[in-house]
Amino acid sequence: MFKKLYCLALVISISLPLFSQKNVEPTETEKTNASKLKALYPDDHVALQNYSDVITFDLDKREQKVTVEQFTEQDYINMDSRADIQMYSFYDGESTIGVFDINYKNGKPTSFYLKDEAYKSSDLFHNDARVKYTHVDFPLKGYRYLTELRKHYKDIKYFTKLYFNSEYPTVKRTISIEIPEWLDVELKEMNFEGYSIKKNVTTDSKSKAKTFTFTMENVPAMFDESNAPGPTYIYPHILILAKSYTYNDAVQPIFNSTQDLYNWYKSLVDELENDNSAFKDKVTELTSSAKSDEEKIKNIYYWVQDNIRYIAFEDGIAGFKPDEASNVYNKKYGDCKGMANLTKQMLVEAGFDARLTWIGTKHIAYDYSTPNLSVDNHMICTLFKDGQAIFLDGTEKFNAYGEYADRIQGKQVMIEDGDKFILKNVPTHDAQFNKENINYTLKLSEESISGKVDKTYRGESRSSLLYYFNTLKNDKKDEFLEYYLNKGNSNIKVSGINTTDLLDRDANIDISYDINIKNAVSSFDDLIYVDLDIDKELSGYELEKRKTDYMFSSKKDLESNLRLEIPIGYKVSHLPENISVKSKNYDMSVAFSKEGNAIVYKKRFKIKNAQIETADFEEWNGFIKKLNTLYNEQIILTKE
Amino acid sequence: MKIKLLLVLALAYSSVMMAQSKEELAAKEFFWGANDSYKDKNDIPDKWKNESAVVIYKNENYDFHKFGKNVTYTSSVRKRIKLLDKASVEEFSEFTYTKRFRSNKGRYSWREKGNNFVGIKIVKPDGTETELDVENEAVEVDGETKVAISNLEVGDIIDYYFYRLEPFKSTYAFGFDPVEVSLGEEYPIMDFKLFFETENDFFINFNSYNGAPELKQVETEKRSIRRYELIASDIPKNEYPRWFYPLVELPSYKFQVYFARSGTFEDRAMAFLPEKEDIIKKSVSKEEVLNLYDTRFKPDGDIGDIKDFFKGKDYTSKEKKVADAYYYMRHYYLTRFIEAFYAQEAKISYNPFMYYGINPVFIQNQKQFIRHFTEFLKREKIDYEIVIAKKRFDGGIEDLLIEKNINVLVKVLTPNPMYAAFFGVHTSIDEYSAQIEGTDAYLLSATKSKIDVIKDGKLPASNHNDNETKKNIEVSLNEDFSKMNFKVVNSFKGFEKEAQLSERLLYSDYVNEDYEKYETESLLDLIKNKKEKARFKKEMDALNEKLHEKQLERFKNNAQSEYNVKEAEDYSYSIDATGRYGLETYFTFTESFNAQNDNLVKKAGPNYIVEIGKLIGGQIDLTEKERKRTENIYMDYPRSYNYEIRFSIPKGYSVSGLDKLNKSVDNSTGSFKSTATVEGDELVINTSKKYKHNYEPNKNWPLMIAFLDEANQFTNEKILLKKE
Repeated sequence: MFKKLYCLALVISISLPLFSQKNVEPTETEKTNASKLKALYPDDHVALQNYSDVITFDLDKREQKVTVEQFTEQDYINMDSRADIQMYSFYDGESTIGVFDINYKNGKPTSFYLKDEAYKSSDLFHNDARVKYTHVDFPLKGYRYLTELRKHYKDIKYFTKLYFNSEYPTVKRTISIEIPEWLDVELKEMNFEGYSIKKNVTTDSKSKAKTFTFTMENVPAMFDESNAPGPTYIYPHILILAKSYTYNDAVQPIFNSTQDLYNWYKSLVDELENDNSAFKDKVTELTSSAKSDEEKIKNIYYWVQDNIRYIAFEDGIAGFKPDEASNVYNKKYGDCKGMANLTKQMLVEAGFDARLTWIGTKHIAYDYSTPNLSVDNHMICTLFKDGQAIFLDGTEKFNAYGEYADRIQGKQVMIEDGDKFILKNVPTHDAQFNKENINYTLKLSEESISGKVDKTYRGESRSSLLYYFNTLKNDKKDEFLEYYLNKGNSNIKVSGINTTDLLDRDANIDISYDINIKNAVSSFDDLIYVDLDIDKELSGYELEKRKTDYMFSSKKDLESNLRLEIPIGYKVSHLPENISVKSKNYDMSVAFSKEGNAIVYKKRFKIKNAQIETADFEEWNGFIKKLNTLYNEQIILTKE
Repeated sequence: MKIKLLLVLALAYSSVMMAQSKEELAAKEFFWGANDSYKDKNDIPDKWKNESAVVIYKNENYDFHKFGKNVTYTSSVRKRIKLLDKASVEEFSEFTYTKRFRSNKGRYSWREKGNNFVGIKIVKPDGTETELDVENEAVEVDGETKVAISNLEVGDIIDYYFYRLEPFKSTYAFGFDPVEVSLGEEYPIMDFKLFFETENDFFINFNSYNGAPELKQVETEKRSIRRYELIASDIPKNEYPRWFYPLVELPSYKFQVYFARSGTFEDRAMAFLPEKEDIIKKSVSKEEVLNLYDTRFKPDGDIGDIKDFFKGKDYTSKEKKVADAYYYMRHYYLTRFIEAFYAQEAKISYNPFMYYGINPVFIQNQKQFIRHFTEFLKREKIDYEIVIAKKRFDGGIEDLLIEKNINVLVKVLTPNPMYAAFFGVHTSIDEYSAQIEGTDAYLLSATKSKIDVIKDGKLPASNHNDNETKKNIEVSLNEDFSKMNFKVVNSFKGFEKEAQLSERLLYSDYVNEDYEKYETESLLDLIKNKKEKARFKKEMDALNEKLHEKQLERFKNNAQSEYNVKEAEDYSYSIDATGRYGLETYFTFTESFNAQNDNLVKKAGPNYIVEIGKLIGGQIDLTEKERKRTENIYMDYPRSYNYEIRFSIPKGYSVSGLDKLNKSVDNSTGSFKSTATVEGDELVINTSKKYKHNYEPNKNWPLMIAFLDEANQFTNEKILLKKE
């Protein structure tokens, strides 16, 4: 290998005689700047001293589309002793990258080789997104690169928003948008409150074009935190609402109103043939013996959930246009649009009023008051029955009819209605809907604790368990259940497990079993110390360094009751103190009491909105600290 | 003229297309044609109804043909699988492959490309069969073809084949990659057929092990064509428990095929070829080993550098001289180049290797090492033997079949024999793979200049005391008991050492150590251009600083998880001794930090309970399934873990509960022992866990469970700090 490398190295050294660039070493000022920036942004490695976007528009007369030119310049500086990063830019069928230059600070080009690859996403089986990227090294502290990127969008529809924050902290961020007189674009300022963003508007006296320049200084990097709200909630950005353009004195709408957005979506839906003959028999099979309409609907909805695999092709217009229901039926796979369409067509076939429905999940902050393609990211089916709208999401698994996943609850939907559309909101469930009950009836003996456990799961606590259980291999299911119940802790022995039907999504799940817990009791002299809690829920939820709201996957409501019978001849000499806290986002309490010869330990944890806001953090963390102290405290029994 | 040319091109193009589809059809006919006896086989036995999926038929085929130097290698597999749950439907719901590829075998060719053909059909429970239109349903991006399998449901049978046609050219002898697998796989298999078709110039080594059926010859129409098959049925799914070597326990087979066009090439092939193409070679005799290696380990190499190193040095002990030579070679032929690899990888220099002069010696494989090292021994007139050994995980030397499985090292016949194996950056003299220690081996030696003697031998084995992890842990609590202060001295020797060295040392730590020891020039010293030198130094320093920062962060996180604490602060790490110049010397490092101890210290009224047992780190916690193990136990090497914990008893408190910290299980397989005593204001705990062998028969499993459980129970033990 060495010899080969050696030869290769020689060849390279001849072809690249000027590897070490002149005048690119960091100056003292740059090194000082890097240190100052590091003090401000200790968790980051590279910063942008300048980051600017210049956006201009043009009209593609042949296609009758407004095109967008985005010119981005970035001035990178390394704040660490050394840094290695990737520089990249995405494009797809609707956009192209014209220029992607990475230069030394003296403006001379570097020799980094840009790779061009299909972007692979674990969520999408196939999509048309591609990425140009390269690996860039900053060999010294204060080292800089200047980049220029020119990106072209073939249609303004797909140019939806611009963020101020990026992957790197930025000293000066500028966004400049030049809007020609013939174009009507609204630049909607989102989440600007609390930030000092300067806006300057100039008008070119000749062309009458208006240039909007936004400047923000000392912009931190985007947060790298899990379970955070979607970026449209937390970062200041400009939403590009392309309304209309004037060509040959005629005003052509783009997305002037929500109706225009609907019209475009509808035009794609209208291209569908909707030949339902492929699944006519299936619908008959699913509905013929049903005793009520509700049973018919359930049979169809559950069939789609259980039999259609989620496989997404996002290639060009396929990202917006649903697949034919018959295709989805025949292939037994599809994306959300395909599943929504199949659900709709099967219900229509069974004689129901079902409609396609666009929705932005909880991840997106917008509703349809801002007509823009980034308003929604999902499609479901709405069923009108007895004057009620019921929402059916085929991508959900083990979702019961009339129940809604947290990710769509409360969100606005756009329902197809011929030439018009209907706006409605998905109902919300309160936390109690997902209630989880745990009941322990335990007895203390010499060295261990044993007894019975009953658990009940409802709502989303139920559907997520059912879903997970049903993705397991048949031969691993029993093993999993045991593991799930003893948490992989060999001190906990679980036996005699009884469950309700783990395929039935309409009923609550009940699980009961016998338990024996070793090593939870320690005796020293005449005292017995008991570590009572094997669940210790929320113990890892201290949100100390976090900067964004913490989002749970669903609302939580846990009620845990534990009754521990203590042996005759012992009395309880110490119980931890009770704690509780109440706020708009949570109600939580832990209480101990003595009832006869038993200790009763009750926990109530209710996360009401599936969210802990940053404003809650101080109180929340205070409670979690107390909770952890309590979890760590031992119950003490003394010999009478 | 132009039109004509276009027409020719078009014709050529269409004929290529035709040829392709012909091959494609042949592939399809081969699996799913009229002779397919599994076409209607849809049922599975009751005993497997609760499995995730059952393979009704698995058929693997290897086909070797040639025309002169042109080889056509075809390999294919077909599986017919009944899918019994959602997990298996998900598993088979997408296929990804490359339709066209460039062979990596033989001579490089621009033009010649291989093809992969794929066929997929779905059989519904009622027997209706649908073949997927793979060509139309697939999407191809950047040369990768992906198919989403449509209409696939639980209860269906998926029947698919991958057919790989790989033409290439090879003038010289060429060995195909060896295959060593067990019969079983993830799902149980009802019927299995392995099939070979070859002709002259292809040599097959093949054998079955652990009860797998034998490969049998099948009659053919022509003498030049040879066919073989292995047929098996009712194969349970494989499970891979802890400490398990599947190739030693499970029914399995191994093979390698060699292409050699003539006697000369046969002789040159680095393989134990059968005498003739129509013989399937099942084992390799001692004589064959001698024949293959007699000329291949001729001492050879430029050892001028070693001579320079020995200049002016006087040795009374031959052992010392051999050891010194080994470590010097490890430096001169390996570690002194390491900086250059880092400089190149970090793009600090495109061509760092040029600074080493023209053709420096860089030892890159076992055989080169043997030739070079024996050249030194020859010059020094020190006798030696060459050891031919085989790793334990795929059977002993008596099961030798494939040359690539050989480990070769030198046994130096000093008064106390020494062993020298191809070095890594941290290896020692007398160190060789744990996989070959204690195994039977062959010893090659030369009576004159040519190797002409082979005899049986056995490699010495280490014991559990030789391979040791040792920790001295000093722990104290802060005033309000919310934090713990740790000072830990970690030491490792024997086989426990190398992985730690790789993890804990930065390249600069050991490279600089070697430069200092041998007073050799570093890469920086070799750069003469002043400006270049200054730049190089700055950038390498920056790289090292970054690597060091990342390393500390990683170590801090490791310490947190090892000692079950959170939010470690004031983490410091220092290397006390690298122990890189001897197998028996310790690598020792010290780390200290303080951290939150919620998991270790629990309030109990006015007292505190300390989970002191957790300080020895996580122990093996056997599941019920593991306790019922039926396989023999294969570990890498015997070893011991010796810990001393010194816990400062806070003022005003006394300790109770020492009785439970005194444990002792000691049997023929291993032991766990612990003692606890109070010495002044310290609680001193000593624990020792030993695995006495690298192998235990299954009947000893209960003995192992006994000491493993005792160690695990120790981690559950607590002490009480009682307020006085």
